[in-house]
Amino acid sequence: MLLENGEHIIGSELLVAGIGTIGAGKIMEVVLKKAQLTLSEIDFVMATGYGRRNFEPANSELSELSCHAKGVLFKNPLVRTIIDIGGQDAKVLRINDKGILENFMMNDKCAAGTGRFLDVMANILQIPINELEKSAELAEKPAKISSTCTVFAESEVISQLASGETVGNVIAGICNSVASRVAGLAKRVGIEEEVFMSGGVAQNGGVRKALEKELKVPIQWSETSQMMGALGAAISAYEQVKKERCI
Amino acid sequence: MSNLKEKLQAFHEIASSPKEQLKKYLEQNKKVVICAPVYTPEEIVHAMGIIPFGTWGADIEIKEAKTYFPAFICSVMQSVLELGIRGDFDGASAIIIPSLCDSLKCLGENWKSSVENIPFIPMVYPQNRKADFGKAFTKAGYERVIADLEKATGLSFDDAKLTESIEIYNEHNAVMRQLSDCLSDYPEITAADRSAIFKSAFYLEKSEHTALVKGLLSELTNTEKTANNKIKIVTTGILADAADLLKIFDDNNMQIVADNVAGESRQYQVDAKPAETSLDSLAGKFAEMDNCSVLFNVDKAIAQYTVDLVAKYQARGVIFVMTKFCDPEEFDYVIIKKACAEKNIPLLLIEIDRQMTNYEQVRTAVETFKEILK
Repeated sequence: MLLENGEHIIGSELLVAGIGTIGAGKIMEVVLKKAQLTLSEIDFVMATGYGRRNFEPANSELSELSCHAKGVLFKNPLVRTIIDIGGQDAKVLRINDKGILENFMMNDKCAAGTGRFLDVMANILQIPINELEKSAELAEKPAKISSTCTVFAESEVISQLASGETVGNVIAGICNSVASRVAGLAKRVGIEEEVFMSGGVAQNGGVRKALEKELKVPIQWSETSQMMGALGAAISAYEQVKKERCI
Repeated sequence: MSNLKEKLQAFHEIASSPKEQLKKYLEQNKKVVICAPVYTPEEIVHAMGIIPFGTWGADIEIKEAKTYFPAFICSVMQSVLELGIRGDFDGASAIIIPSLCDSLKCLGENWKSSVENIPFIPMVYPQNRKADFGKAFTKAGYERVIADLEKATGLSFDDAKLTESIEIYNEHNAVMRQLSDCLSDYPEITAADRSAIFKSAFYLEKSEHTALVKGLLSELTNTEKTANNKIKIVTTGILADAADLLKIFDDNNMQIVADNVAGESRQYQVDAKPAETSLDSLAGKFAEMDNCSVLFNVDKAIAQYTVDLVAKYQARGVIFVMTKFCDPEEFDYVIIKKACAEKNIPLLLIEIDRQMTNYEQVRTAVETFKEILK
């Protein structure tokens, strides 16, 4: 994410891959090229996410939780609860009345309730991850996926399909399963409106709607939900420059 | 190297070399009995002229113990068994394992089947430990331990000797409490240093450890106090000795000013007081112990204790170091969380495991907590 004067997004790219900091380096090259800029013209590079400490071009690094909070509040300052479901983990962030992050919880013990769970399920169903929502909408009676363990849930899905359950019902069951785990986490932090969903899973309407049903609150999201962490990092970089230059 | 650094280095060396420490005692022809956590009556072992050698397992890959334990169980227990199976305790005369949680009970039973050369001695504690019948039950448990120790080592127990050992342990308790207080004034002592001081106590005869700690205290008294710009935190949990975890605290400029960690200060909170016999004195000590997830307390005093620690040491927040799959801690987390919320004390929950090789999620959580505390 390339941010100008703390306000204008002049470039952004997304690469979904677990290849350490190589991906981030490649993405930065692409963004700079598209914006017709060089790294030397960038005042401050802030890295976030897993691997942030090893990204050499970065001037500093900030945890993705702080970045998601900054990014979402930039979009909507009235948000008080952020649900961030990413590929590796799920987090619920609580923002206070002053717009400051005051509490958070992260998933523990296993990958249930994360984007990885959906990836595994999409893989065995041979359906592209971005089409899960469409299939979930066809569900007449969502199947129950009760296993917490991703691998056991995978077996459960295979058994459900083998016993004649429709793909739509199974996918709706999968979305409900993710929503149910994340709702548990959210309730531990406490839900306060307005609620915003960030991270890649926000694009999955099946999970979003299931979460709304579980938490009984409307959940906002954006086409750029997956970029909220990067946006927050860019805002934080701008704040650092302002601080250094006493602006 | 400064005198202070030299003294700290001694603790690090002992804490990181339990196997060498055990070998040292065995080469001195001393009998050694392994003491698994928690609240193992080390004083009894000490009184019989045996070295009580503590163990809280180790950060190792668990292989053989998986034959005996299910996957989702406390890794402290799993790693104690792994060390036993792979021979790290060879030469020890016995192991005492208390029964204060379900995982500990499994450890004892599994030990019998998997480590045949080191006899298992159970210490069965009562849940209702404060009433007279509870103290009598504890005392009966100690008598069983004594009988088993006599059988395993050929040595005999003498109540008068126990009086002397209790004095040594009470002095060690007092010195460790004094040290914890003192360290809060010295931000240059890192979380890793602090942990090494506490951890080294498991592997040394207590009067030896007392002497080392007294030496450190004397050095600290001669050290000029510097401005404290660190973020003061209180830790609570079962165990918080993982090197990567401590490094994360240090990297984030955090200072542990007090703790209620079972493997650290929690065990030193109560001294044994005079009673009719020394064994009664020891049972009385256990009856008075509290602020621990494995000790039944209907009032859940641990919550208020945590809040009080924060106030006393002016800490900015609490870090709850949850040992993965520790049921008693999971229950107590809820009441501690509630007590902290009522006092507006920020609380961070992090989950650790003896088998963890990647602490990035913990680092992310601690860094974010630091942002909140700012």
